[in-house]
Amino acid sequence: MPAATHDIGWVDQADRAESKPLLTQPQLGVLWSVQQRNGTNKHYDPKWRKLRAAKVIKIDLPNYQRMRREAAMSPEEQRSKMKKDGQAPPRSFTEREIILACTGAIMEPYEPPKGDSVLSSLSGLNIKGLSDKGKSMNAVRKIKQYEDDFSVSEFPSLAQEIYLEAHALLEDVEKNKDRLHDLVTEKAYPDMVWKLKNKTFRWKFVESLEPAKVVRVRAGNAISKENMFGQVTVRFHTQQTLALYDRFGRLMVGSEHLVKDCLEYVVFEKHLSEEYSEWRLHAKIFPDWMEPKNMPLKTMKKPDFSGEEYQEVEEDEADDKAVAQTA
Amino acid sequence: MQSRLLHTTPVTCRKLLPSTPQFWPQYNDVVYPPREPGLPLRPAEITHHVSNVKYSLRKMWYIAAMIRGMSVDEALKQLSFIERKGSLIAKEAIEDAIDIAVSSHNVEFRSNLWIADSFATKAIRHKGYRKTALRGYKIIKYDYIHYFVRLREGRPPKHYFAPPPNGHEKMAEYLQQKRNRRIIKAL
Repeated sequence: MPAATHDIGWVDQADRAESKPLLTQPQLGVLWSVQQRNGTNKHYDPKWRKLRAAKVIKIDLPNYQRMRREAAMSPEEQRSKMKKDGQAPPRSFTEREIILACTGAIMEPYEPPKGDSVLSSLSGLNIKGLSDKGKSMNAVRKIKQYEDDFSVSEFPSLAQEIYLEAHALLEDVEKNKDRLHDLVTEKAYPDMVWKLKNKTFRWKFVESLEPAKVVRVRAGNAISKENMFGQVTVRFHTQQTLALYDRFGRLMVGSEHLVKDCLEYVVFEKHLSEEYSEWRLHAKIFPDWMEPKNMPLKTMKKPDFSGEEYQEVEEDEADDKAVAQTA
Repeated sequence: MQSRLLHTTPVTCRKLLPSTPQFWPQYNDVVYPPREPGLPLRPAEITHHVSNVKYSLRKMWYIAAMIRGMSVDEALKQLSFIERKGSLIAKEAIEDAIDIAVSSHNVEFRSNLWIADSFATKAIRHKGYRKTALRGYKIIKYDYIHYFVRLREGRPPKHYFAPPPNGHEKMAEYLQQKRNRRIIKAL
């Protein structure tokens, strides 16, 4: 009796190649015929396998891992992937923010004289007041058009109040967010709160070594002529303590007990055209000659330059040199 | 009326289990007060998780339990010898956690971490169907898992689990067992 034929045309190629039809098919009539398994656990006749599989309704299982990986791709990787898949580049709906309540820069920034930080009475650099009287007084006159009671002599006390409160509020940025935005401009805010999240910030003002002084006043417009801004640079020479602790209460930088002399040139800004605006802390001036401050030292891994790409670069440079020499 | 249908609080007040992808990363936002001088420093602790991975929870248990209490280097080494999908899941999670620890949690040495917690839980379940006899249908469950890991700074402890009892402890336990017996019809 011939073996029954099936309309499922699924034949294991491996089985066929072994050319053992007599052994791989059941021999009817021989009751104790042993099924030939060829060392595998598969059924000798896989015809039902296909039918069993057909009973399962296929669904598309989401691959969350791949989705996460694609979401975390860098723009360059994303672009190359979309190019590979033949997809059109996505339309970007992210628009750049423009803040009109403050300027993004310092108008003609004051350049602190070198050696000012040593001791002003001994260094001969006695900074008495406005550095360039003509321009500054022009600006004062402009500011007075908008703010009648503005005075250069009284401004430092107001500036110091703003300065002290703004710095004290940094101890808990999340809680004092609203008040902080009243005291500092949108430009200064990210600079001040940068990396303070999940850290403990302890700052204390000890005393003023010298009274705060106004060293520069500027007024200018932005976008349109009527949109006026005023900027005042104030010199603070104070004593402060500062300590920064990480999330686990371990000291990262500074000390709560070490009092340090601190000389700062702080720019305050006001949107003059707006009736209800206030003077706010806008920026600090860091001169070019200032040495970088001591930051927490971290252990870094020494980069390995023995890879192929680095060697190629070196070879290219060597070739360039050789070309230059021959020329 | 069923009482569970009556909500007296908003959904946001729902209490989350720690072993959920919503709760687990919140451990990373805990800020401890500055340490008093003289007290030992608090070791850094980082939680990380991988959510919704298509794998069996029961297979993952062996892998997750194996690496508990190991240093990260040892765990990564051991996992590299297991040719299973679960070891890849754990390995990826640990490597990511180390990177996060070094980049944003003030951990100085990446090898100076050990696995304080490692476990997996049930995640989303997708359902498919298959035909059965007599025009019937049965549900096929496609289960996913979440994998959670917590790294702690420092060297791993000598005994992560309770240490095995020594001879004296065994003796004491044996004697206690004997004394706890109830001798029927005794004095």
